[in-house]
Amino acid sequence: MASRYDRAITVFSPDGHLFQVEYAQEAVKKGSTAVGIRGTNIVVLGVEKKSVAKLQDERTVRKICALDDHVCMAFAGLTADARVVINRARVECQSHKLTVEDPVTVEYITRFIATLKQKYTQSNGRRPFGISALIVGFDDDGIPRLYQTDPSGTYHAWKANAIGRSAKTVREFLEKNYTEDAIADDDEAIKLAIRALLEVVQSGGKNIELAIIRRNQPLKMFSAKEIELQVTEIEKEKEEAEKKKSKKSI
Amino acid sequence: MAATFFGEVVKAPCRAGTEDEDEEEEGRRETPEDREVRRQLARKREVRLLRRQTKTSLEVSLLEKYPCSKFIIAIGNNAVAFLSSFVTNSGVWEEVGCAKLWNEWCRTTDTIHLSPTEAFCVFYHLKSNPSVFLCQCSCYVAEDQQYQWLEKVFGSCPRKNMQITILTSRHVTEYKTSESTGSLPSPFLKALKTQNFRDPVCCSLLEQPNIVHDLPAAVLSYCQVWKIPAVLYLCYTDVMKLDLITVEAFKPILSSRTFKGLVKNIPQSTEMLKKLMTTNEIQSNIYT
Repeated sequence: MASRYDRAITVFSPDGHLFQVEYAQEAVKKGSTAVGIRGTNIVVLGVEKKSVAKLQDERTVRKICALDDHVCMAFAGLTADARVVINRARVECQSHKLTVEDPVTVEYITRFIATLKQKYTQSNGRRPFGISALIVGFDDDGIPRLYQTDPSGTYHAWKANAIGRSAKTVREFLEKNYTEDAIADDDEAIKLAIRALLEVVQSGGKNIELAIIRRNQPLKMFSAKEIELQVTEIEKEKEEAEKKKSKKSI
Repeated sequence: MAATFFGEVVKAPCRAGTEDEDEEEEGRRETPEDREVRRQLARKREVRLLRRQTKTSLEVSLLEKYPCSKFIIAIGNNAVAFLSSFVTNSGVWEEVGCAKLWNEWCRTTDTIHLSPTEAFCVFYHLKSNPSVFLCQCSCYVAEDQQYQWLEKVFGSCPRKNMQITILTSRHVTEYKTSESTGSLPSPFLKALKTQNFRDPVCCSLLEQPNIVHDLPAAVLSYCQVWKIPAVLYLCYTDVMKLDLITVEAFKPILSSRTFKGLVKNIPQSTEMLKKLMTTNEIQSNIYT
């Protein structure tokens, strides 16, 4: 009898569900995939670029946004909701810096976003934000962080995670391939993110966008050429691995 | 009958129903205008089976006119895209007729000039084997029209020596299971068959308490009653519009007996499917 308990956000169903929150999680699945990886010295965010209409300016369709110099996030779900959340988070980052004279920690800004999302699951007349976010960055202590938030307002720290369409497939890939060796090297961590995305992205490298933050360095967005280079290297490695396999079997 | 405080007598509502005499009088008071309106509405909602080329109505039901050994029905845009890419491309199919209907789900109020995409079910047969039929139904057939559709297509006394395969899709949130919907591997295929269907099915059967709805349910019920072997392949998906992954979820049924010989070139079909997807993609900026 979901229909009786999904009208107002503030109503629990008899078996304890908040259906509007669960439906918001369905909205997240309509967004394209985003993957985040926490390496030893690097954090990587990779997203599947949405196909842009011919007359649309590509630069205005962004899934990876900087919240501050040392924190950035990728989202999946309703574009407009993301814009509102990102604006609030950016203001909070600056407000924090001015008030306590320190940049926000990644956990602080994640908690801020999660609290904001939770508020909207407990007020009448409002619906939850239909986005999940992957927030990455380095704190002052030099430790890399990756957090994920969802429409219910929960947040957790992750070593690697994926959100959006086909997130399950990507997460399974990461579970199999995330090893301490893989993430110890920066390049390997980047390749892992791209390989995870290639599992679900149709038409390969030209539909991938990538951003990295290295310790004490600002956010770097990869250009299309750089991504193509990485993809070509990955394909070469794949071929070589397959050749080795066929040699072994002979 | 009960008395109130103010002396008025008020009839108490009775759950057993009103007294018979009153009900009959009220029910029968139908004006000629009501009858006319009802007649016009029935005419508007009539399901018409036409010969596409000549636009004349078929006098008898489709399967009474043409003998049929195999009938594949695709209902919904994903099932239709699957048949278009994998089956109709692999042979020469000739159009034999179409069913034209109007209901509240149609975007237009004009019942005469309905566009083919919204209000048609198109029927084809294979030129090399005319007893193999195919139906592409991308419009919604309302509850009151389903019986008419069945009558116009199958007739009132259908033959039993044919096999029906129905393909359709449904949103995964309607799938009832004790697992959480987040852990379901959507899209996934479920099957439901009539008692007389003996062939092996290509996926697991639909478990209780899940039910089938709309036209697929009507066809399956009809086949069960008339003891015709029929199977429904239902794809539960989380994307209701035309989607590549959902359409590809139907692929396991290509190995069934029904589709043997009907599908020739699978890689080419996959390419066709990709083209179909890109031409149908409506740009939406709501989700990123």
